[in-house]
Amino acid sequence: MIRLRSVSKEYERRTILDALDLQVDAGEFVFLTGPSGAGKTTLLRMLYAAEHPTEGEVWVAGRRIDEMVRAQLPLLRRKIGVIFQDFKLLRRKTVLENITFVLRIHGIAPREAHRRAMKVLRRLGLQHRQAAFPDALSGGEQQRVAIARALAYQPRLILADEPTGNLDADLASELLSLLCDINYQGATVLVATHDHAILESIPARTLVLHQGQIHYDGMWPP
Amino acid sequence: MAAVIRHAIAEGLVVLRERAAVSVILALVLGVPISLAGVGLTLHQWLGPVAGLSGQKSSVAVLLHPQMEGSERRRWIAELASDHPDWVVSEVSSSDLAERLQRWFPYLKDLMDSGDATLPPLLEILTDNPESVTELEDRAEVLAIGPRSSIQQTLGQVARRLALIVGVVSFVLLAGAVLLAAVWVHLELYRHADEVTIMRLVGATEGTIRGPFLVAVAIPGVVAGILSVVGSLATVSGLSKLSSALGLSAMSIPPSILVLQLATSVFLPLLAAVITLARHAADATEN
Repeated sequence: MIRLRSVSKEYERRTILDALDLQVDAGEFVFLTGPSGAGKTTLLRMLYAAEHPTEGEVWVAGRRIDEMVRAQLPLLRRKIGVIFQDFKLLRRKTVLENITFVLRIHGIAPREAHRRAMKVLRRLGLQHRQAAFPDALSGGEQQRVAIARALAYQPRLILADEPTGNLDADLASELLSLLCDINYQGATVLVATHDHAILESIPARTLVLHQGQIHYDGMWPP
Repeated sequence: MAAVIRHAIAEGLVVLRERAAVSVILALVLGVPISLAGVGLTLHQWLGPVAGLSGQKSSVAVLLHPQMEGSERRRWIAELASDHPDWVVSEVSSSDLAERLQRWFPYLKDLMDSGDATLPPLLEILTDNPESVTELEDRAEVLAIGPRSSIQQTLGQVARRLALIVGVVSFVLLAGAVLLAAVWVHLELYRHADEVTIMRLVGATEGTIRGPFLVAVAIPGVVAGILSVVGSLATVSGLSKLSSALGLSAMSIPPSILVLQLATSVFLPLLAAVITLARHAADATEN
């Protein structure tokens, strides 16, 4: 599902990722961890083509995406559900509209989009907040809306950047079990986090990123 | 595609609702110059043959006897041209005859409408001195001579100046309207920057992203088109009444000009929006 070959990324002569090699198979659940500035977010951004490597190849779902032209990106991104660290919710749309909006972009008919959105909102316990605007929600609720949006179109790959950062322990555990469910249903899940408690809560492959290189690749704790 | 269009219309209407004042201004600044240009073109087309707008010379119509044989007529015309090298003499073709007769000799309308008379041959003489054509009045071959006073030249000059002024004013106002449309789209893109970024990140195509902005400028364009057509029709109708009162032929806007007005009203703001959106897409980052 994901393959990186000698991927490097530099910003103003500063190396963020250094000749990184990585393979994640379809259906895997993988944690990506490391200290702040280790390159976790940069790596995730490369996987949905918001960043391009300075060197190397990035393959996602069998396509080399670092060479893709802009017109090809939408189709790639429709296979990927991204849970952003800063939520990236549409402020002028309600919770329900934030989700149906994305489904409509994906060509899903309005009635089906509404049905799917309500289903995912119920799953995340947000059905009573469907008419609220993002600014009226708590951080945790906003995070769950962002997750609902990423899950609504049943993507083959889920990339989550610090998805539990704004959630309390119970909600974080609930979210992880949700991601596990989705993983059991066949989706590949890559979760970037620096929270060791989360790493220990689920036995999964863990990649430790440090100074732009993978220092550890295996089950956690080592 | 249907989903993209539905989305574009729904979101485009939201943009319009949020910026109603700008869209009304855009419709007006587009509609007024296009209406002006339409009236100017109509005036130009109407005055052209009357006042010889194609050059500085004036055109004078000469009606010949219908009994003149073709060969006799051609010989007579050739002699006329050789006697007056400063005249450009041409015979009006049979396809244009009815329209020209009506324009130069409106009092023949009843004769033409009855359809039971052969239409007389008509010459048009292009000359610097329309009064000089008067000398043909005594010729047996000539039935009548059309208006030839120097007012034709004055009218021509006024019409040319009017066309130039209307052209320049329309162009300046249209350039302003295009600039307004481009700036508006640019500001809306800036205002919706987060949404555009999010849309790109969740897999929206450029068509889906640009659609609402195109709809938001196309609708004022359509309104401007309707305004310009209504404005031109009303103005030309008023001018036509005036021309009829002066004994000149009636004026009407050709349908091609109305279609051109509608098309320009929609095309110009869309062009401005397309260029602005393309430039924005090229510069886009996804942070």
